[in-house]
Parts: sequence; C-alpha cells; structure tokens
Amino acid sequence: MFALPALTVYVVFLVYPAVSSLWFSFTDWDGLSPAYNVVGLDNYARMLEDPVVLTAGKNNLIWSLVTIVFPVTLGLALALLLNGKVRAKPVLRLVFYAPGVLPLVSIASIWGWLYNPQYGAINSFLSLIGLGDLAQPWLGQDSTALWAVMVPAVWLRTGFPMLLYIAALQSIPAELYEAARVDGASRWRQFWHVTMPSLRSAHYIVLALSLIDSFKVFDMIYAMTYGGPGTATQVMGTWMYANVFQYYQAGYGTAIAVVITLIAIAVGIPYVRSQTRERAT
Amino acid sequence: MTSVTPITTTPAAAPSKTARPSKDTAKDTVRGGLVLTVVTGLVAVFWISPLALLVVTAIRPLPDFIGNGPLSWPSAFTWENFSDAWDIGNFATTYGNSALLLILKVPLGVLISAMLGFALAKLRMKFRRTVMFSVFLGLTIPIYIAIVPVFIMMRTAGATDSVIGLIGPYLAFGIPFEVLVLQSFFRQIPNEIIEAARVDGAGDWRIFWTVVLPLSAPALVTVLILDAVATWNEFLFALILLNSDANKTLPVGLLNFQGQFSNNTTGLAAGILIAVVPILLAYTLLQRWIVAGLTAGATKG
Repeated sequence: MFALPALTVYVVFLVYPAVSSLWFSFTDWDGLSPAYNVVGLDNYARMLEDPVVLTAGKNNLIWSLVTIVFPVTLGLALALLLNGKVRAKPVLRLVFYAPGVLPLVSIASIWGWLYNPQYGAINSFLSLIGLGDLAQPWLGQDSTALWAVMVPAVWLRTGFPMLLYIAALQSIPAELYEAARVDGASRWRQFWHVTMPSLRSAHYIVLALSLIDSFKVFDMIYAMTYGGPGTATQVMGTWMYANVFQYYQAGYGTAIAVVITLIAIAVGIPYVRSQTRERAT
Repeated sequence: MTSVTPITTTPAAAPSKTARPSKDTAKDTVRGGLVLTVVTGLVAVFWISPLALLVVTAIRPLPDFIGNGPLSWPSAFTWENFSDAWDIGNFATTYGNSALLLILKVPLGVLISAMLGFALAKLRMKFRRTVMFSVFLGLTIPIYIAIVPVFIMMRTAGATDSVIGLIGPYLAFGIPFEVLVLQSFFRQIPNEIIEAARVDGAGDWRIFWTVVLPLSAPALVTVLILDAVATWNEFLFALILLNSDANKTLPVGLLNFQGQFSNNTTGLAAGILIAVVPILLAYTLLQRWIVAGLTAGATKG
C-alpha cells in the first residue's frame, strides 16, 4: 500500500500528538509528574482571566495584520516593478527573496544586532542623518518592541508574495492591455481593471498562505525578545511555551495551543478545501 | 474586468513575454527602463544592507568597530572573528548535525510523500477525498500544538537529545506540503502512459519507479530543495528535543552562540555569516528551482 508509510508517520507524529494535546488541555498536568487530574474546562476558563492571554491574543492579531498587509503590498509593488522594463531582473529577484531562505533565528540575530542600543546600526544611522534624538532601545521598551520584531518579519516575508505575483503577472495576456489601451484607459485604470482582476487567484493564494503562516509565529519572537520586555511581545505560541517549559503548567499551556490551533484550522479550511476540490476534478 | 471591451481588432499583439503596454517610443523605453532600474536597484541595496553591514563588521577588529561605530568603513581587516566564532560557536558540530538530519530526513520524506501522492493521484483508494483533506489540513496546524506529546513520546522512547529523534516529527510536518505539490504534479501525467505500462505487465510499484518518478523530476527536485530549506531552518522541535551541545542543529546552536557573543559584535557578525553564507550560496545556485516550486500554485486554479 503506497499510502501507508506517509500516513503512519503523519498519524503518529502529527495527528496523535495534536489529539493528545487536546486531552492534556482538560487536565492540570504539570508536564513532569506521572499523575494528573482531569479539570474539565478550567484551563479554558482561566485563559479568559489571564491578562497575558489578552496581550498575546492582541499581539497575534496585530502580527497577522502587519505581517500580511505590508509584505503583500510591498511584494505586489516589487512584482510590478520587476515585471516592467527593469534590467537585471534575476539579480533583483534574488536579492528580494534572499531573506526568505534564512533560518528565522539568524534573522533574529541580525536584527537584534541592528537594534542594539549601543552598537546597533539603526541608532547610528539615525545620528548620522541628524535624527539622533530618535535613537532608542527598540527591543527594550514596551512601546516599540512589537513593532521592532515585526520589521524583520516583513523583511523576510515580502519575497514570497513578490515571486507569486511575478509569476501571475507574466501569465496575463498582453491582449488585455492592448484592448484597455484602445479604449483609452489610463495606466491607473489599467492597473485596477486589468491587472488586479487578473491577479485574483494569486491574491487568494498569497492571502491564504500568509494567514495560515501568521498563526505559527514563534521562532522570531522567541529568539529576539522571548516575549519581553515584560510581556509586551508575548504571542500565543511563546506564552504556551513559557507555561509548559518554564512554569510547568503543561495543561494550561496546551489549552492555549489548542485555542490558537482551532482558530488556525478554521481560517485555513477554505484554502484546504479549495486545494482538495481543485485537484480532485 | 468589466470595463475591458472584448478585443475586436486584434492588433497582432506583440509576443512580448511581459504583458506591458508598449506605446512609448524605443528611446523612452530605454530611458524609462534605466530610471526604473536605478530606483529598484536602490531599493535592493537598502534591502540587502543588513547583510552587507554584517560582512563589513565581520572582517574588522572589535576595537575598530567600537571606536569608529557600526557605519564607518573599517580601518583594519582581520579574519580572526571567523576563527573565533567557528571555535566558540561549535559550528563544526552543529553543521554536521544539520547535514546528517538533512541527508536522512529529506530523501525519505520526499519518497514517502511521493508514494502517498501517487496513491492519491493515480490509484484507486478508499476515502481518497477524506485522506487528502486530512493531510492537507496539516498545513494549517502550528508545530506547538504537538510539542508536549512529542516530547513525552521521545522521552519514553529514549530518543530525546538525538538528531535521529527529530526525523519522525520533521517528516510528519513536512508531509502535507510535499504531498500537496507532488500529487498535483502526478495528476497531470496522462493516464494513457500509465495504462500502457500496465498493459506491458508493470505493477504499481514498477510504474511508480519507472514511469511516475522519472516524469516528475522537476517537481521532485523542487520539493527536495524546499523541504531541505525547511528542515535546515526548523527551530522549535530542535529546541525542545535537543539539549547537549554535541547534538544541536544549526539554528539552536546559533541561538546559544548569540547569547555568548552579545558583547563581541564583530564575532557575532562573523558567526551569523558562518551560519547563513552557505545557505545563501545554495539559494543562489538553486534559485530557479526554488522560484518554480514556490510559484507552482500561483498561476493555475
């Protein structure tokens, strides 16, 4: 049976763990001792009263919004540029997608260094152009930390939509533009009435994949701020991790993971269904 | 596209690959191209400047960096940062571990995903839609829902703190994407070819090896590369399952190194470069395949 090896691995290491996390979320297990009690929905009730969950949820929302809107818009703009008369397209494309292949931890290291209040390039650059007053500990204060972590995320995520949009732009028939021009449509109108509608399926894929991806945020926050300062940059993933591995509250931690996973699945189902349907015909 | 009237007089649309209007005269086109190139080039320079800065910092002595600031041009050059970082950062070990993981996991993952993809695309299978839906749903599932049970599973099996123990979870979380891409590629193989092989007496297994896989070489290469990138960069499972320095993979090792070198900026820069330059080189060489794979889904459907 061809399906068996992959399905076995999938069930053992993904489906089964996910389901047993669901079970643990109904217990008060600490993650270490062999014994635990079933506490029903207590962990979920506790989440409602946990101020960090509120912060984390809000941060997840901001994270999703910012790391989708900016990369997608920038990616589309770059794709339009690179689809035009620009030379050296392969090199430019290479440059813009390059951050996307790096380990998130290395991106966190690079930006952690750029943000360094004392030796970082960003504050030095601000002084250099006479805006030294704006220099600040970007990652070290509540007001800027989350934004400072999102900038590298935008940096690394812009390449992917750019590549998808370039591919999609290249498949728009030139005749559509000819026709629009014959009708006297301006560049602007051509963009809104020819380009954008033709990119509809690309938009859908870009947005669906970005949205699915945005719920998985963990590495970058963990490596750059570990949720701090205080709890300013906590997201559900890092707060779950802290509860399980730092506070030994595996039951509560898995409940957090269950909630965000259910949201991710709910959001992802239309995309998954479209993939299943499209291929099955 | 409501405002676009149907083309009545097709003006022999120039078969230009890019669908750009070409009203401008040739000279304007050249000049417009130059301006755009310069603008885009500047954006690209800005985009890559963190990495460029990293290179400049890594090849200068620490006192020079501290004395003159991060944006100054080095007054002296040195390779010492690299040798320091290499030794203290334990890179020989972490590179070895990551490479071992790559060699063991990626081909195996692509093979079993291809087998499942083949079954989904070309074989009669019970509950096909259900299986497909369940596997694709894995794309949406964050790794952190699985870490506690996987950690316990591995501890029970005595497989924590070993690169080998990472293979199972890595395979499982790679399968949804690999199967999605491969089965959609397999689906495009004409059934006649497979029927012909069957008439010649080939069984499913032989058809898989001698017909389906050879015809799918581009998709296989793409999936291999993308899976290699994902495996090389994975962080969360490696973070919780590996504890001793001797067993760490590159991302986890780099995190440790970052902590140790927080005051040695030039050494840190060298260490980061040691970690990323090979990936960037591989990416440069293989970018055609990466782009093809990433954009496979964008133009159809």
